[in-house]
Amino acid sequence: MQRFITQTLFICSIISLVFLSILSRADGYTDPFYVRFTSPKQESLILGSSRAAQGLQPSVFKDYLKKDVFNYSFTISHSPYGAVYLNSIKKKLKKNTTNGIYIVTVDPWSISSKTKDPNDSINFGENKLCLANTYLVNMNPNFEYLIRTFAGKYYTLIQKKRGSLFLNNDGWLEVNIGMDSSSVARRIDAKVYDYKTNNLPFYNFSSLRLEYLYKTIQLLKQHGDVYLVRLPVHPKIFEIEQELMPDFDRKISEVVTITNGYLDMTKENEGYQYIDGNHLYKESGKLVSGKVAKWITESGKSKIETTSNKNGNLINRR
Amino acid sequence: MLFNSIDFAVFLPIVFVLYWFATKGSLRLQNILLLVSSYFFYGCWDWRFMFLLIFSTVLDYYTGIKIYEAENRKKKLFWLWLSVGINLGFLGVFKYYNFFADSFADGLSLLGFKANLATLQVILPVGISFYTFHGLSYVIDLYKDRIKPERNFIDYSVFVSFFPLLVAGPIERATHLLPQIHKKREFNYAKAVDGLRQILWGLFKKIVIADNCAEYANTIFNNSADYSGSTLVLGALFFTFQIYGDFSGYSDIALGTARLFGIELLRNFAFPYFSRDIAEFWRRWHISLSSWFKDYLYIPLGGSKGGMWMKIRNTFIIFLVSGFWHGANWTFIVWGFLNALYIMPSIIFSTNRNNLEIVAKGKYLPTPKEFFDISLTFCLTVFAWIFFRANNVTHALSYISGILSPSLFSVPEIRPKVTILFILFLIVIEWVGREGQYAISSLGLTWIKPLRWLLYILLALVTLLNSGSKQEFIYFPF
Repeated sequence: MQRFITQTLFICSIISLVFLSILSRADGYTDPFYVRFTSPKQESLILGSSRAAQGLQPSVFKDYLKKDVFNYSFTISHSPYGAVYLNSIKKKLKKNTTNGIYIVTVDPWSISSKTKDPNDSINFGENKLCLANTYLVNMNPNFEYLIRTFAGKYYTLIQKKRGSLFLNNDGWLEVNIGMDSSSVARRIDAKVYDYKTNNLPFYNFSSLRLEYLYKTIQLLKQHGDVYLVRLPVHPKIFEIEQELMPDFDRKISEVVTITNGYLDMTKENEGYQYIDGNHLYKESGKLVSGKVAKWITESGKSKIETTSNKNGNLINRR
Repeated sequence: MLFNSIDFAVFLPIVFVLYWFATKGSLRLQNILLLVSSYFFYGCWDWRFMFLLIFSTVLDYYTGIKIYEAENRKKKLFWLWLSVGINLGFLGVFKYYNFFADSFADGLSLLGFKANLATLQVILPVGISFYTFHGLSYVIDLYKDRIKPERNFIDYSVFVSFFPLLVAGPIERATHLLPQIHKKREFNYAKAVDGLRQILWGLFKKIVIADNCAEYANTIFNNSADYSGSTLVLGALFFTFQIYGDFSGYSDIALGTARLFGIELLRNFAFPYFSRDIAEFWRRWHISLSSWFKDYLYIPLGGSKGGMWMKIRNTFIIFLVSGFWHGANWTFIVWGFLNALYIMPSIIFSTNRNNLEIVAKGKYLPTPKEFFDISLTFCLTVFAWIFFRANNVTHALSYISGILSPSLFSVPEIRPKVTILFILFLIVIEWVGREGQYAISSLGLTWIKPLRWLLYILLALVTLLNSGSKQEFIYFPF
């Protein structure tokens, strides 16, 4: 027996060592999520779906706010507001932080659900995805994520193929893709078709998700200032969103009251470039990040009750 | 808890250590531990269905004793039918209700009637077909006076729910497994090492072969209208190796795991793709199910005793039932029917027992005739798998008509070189090791230890590097 156990342990140790050394090669090219689970706990966060993941660039915020604001946004499937996202945010937040800045992005999809009953939290899609399955979100290398949740094949970690997606260490998902007009038009058409056929008929407003948005903001308020932002999208996608939730502003009005301000950038939808209608092109993302950062700086300085801006609808509350 | 998951990789060593150390060699404690860990293993799938498993166990345990103690044949028959009826009733409701309801409604609509039968939104309890068949074989054996009833409930429960075989077999027999559960088990180094080796080979087949093939088979089958005939052939071939790697890989892991606990399970696969005719194929593919149907269906129906027509009828019956056992879909029934057709020539000309030994025993290569026979049998099998894999019969027919098009002679659109290389590697290793219980059972045994270990380490690493997205085993829902 002793011989069997010793030999098995010896062989398993060699296998584990080689395997773990291969796993430790994982980086920003591995997948669009991994790196976010490898940073230490954070004081300031950007939250939301893939729009925020691609659109809001922490390096720009650092220039304006002199703070590291980590992008902890995923996708509409992984991180709509709900228990799963809230629990993961709790794990990512540095305890005892009191001066953090939290940029919470919202749109109709992030407070809707594809389940038959939009409040059927047991069957929420994100329950089976990486945010729900990753208990350790601040470990580098994150073997737990790679072993339990990583959806690809491990040999890709040896190949080190450079794809069009790169997840920066600050959590910003950089997409390097052809932006010639015909490619962009094709991608926008495909995305609009996808949203019209696969999302719009199935998504419904979820009061439970709205409640979780409220809870998320309440949590963040204990650690600093919370700014609510609705990012710009292509007008065609915006039309679909309006169809899904024409009274979006009314629905979130109560949530807005507990934040430090709400910036609705959809009034300037036309002013930016999108890779597929839903996600900002990185140059436009830079501009949008700058505007949001400037707005946060100004609201921090002015502490006014309510104001508006010619570029968009700004409501500040302090 | 999948065999190819990290959860199982943690679960197995814990149970192993407890089994050999904490129980201090006590058979009773070992069996209790096996039962508790089996229920835990099953509960990880869906704890609600544990009650169904326990109910089925209690039912067969109790009716088994009643059958044995009954004073006359009539009473024995009553208890037998009670057990068979309830077991098949559960199987029918969970597995077949919607199929019958839909088929009945379709039939009525063909006659011009509109029927709107309610279908049930039921989840199929994992392994139900397997543990139901365990229980059935036990009560039938008791009725036939082949065995005596098991009085120890723990031992009987271990027989039904021993975790390596619980969810996808092999379908065990009381005559084979119960004596092992009663017997004191002591650790055997050679057997344990052999068990680990078989687990390793099973994982390789599942993760490297089946899961890689699944990726391409799924793409091609799910978009079959978009692909050329040659690609569709490739898709069918990928599925052929997927299902073999998946199910025989599962069986290898199950057998290897059981061996770690000193228990030998029935062999389930014996290199079926090297068969020279369909009869041989069915003696080598899912052996525990084929022999179950032979013993509990074919022979009770009269087997081959009632003349040629009886033989033909019974053969069709077992293949159709076998097809239906795999799932509530006409595709499985057509697949069973095709296999019955394939086997007919050997039944009619009584050549079905011509190839009992493994092909080219003691030789490196088959003869040209053997090679031709293997190739023909393989092609027939691949053709039948198209029905098994297709979403419905119409899909299967359109898939076949897609193959039989001029594009059959074009270059396939999908050419995954690495996966094809892995398949070739599998074929070579299986051919070399075809005289053993599993392909690598004696591979490298005569080599020096470091070289042999290097082989295991390389196999394990290739397997690990090909893992990532965990795929369920195909046979779990059956």
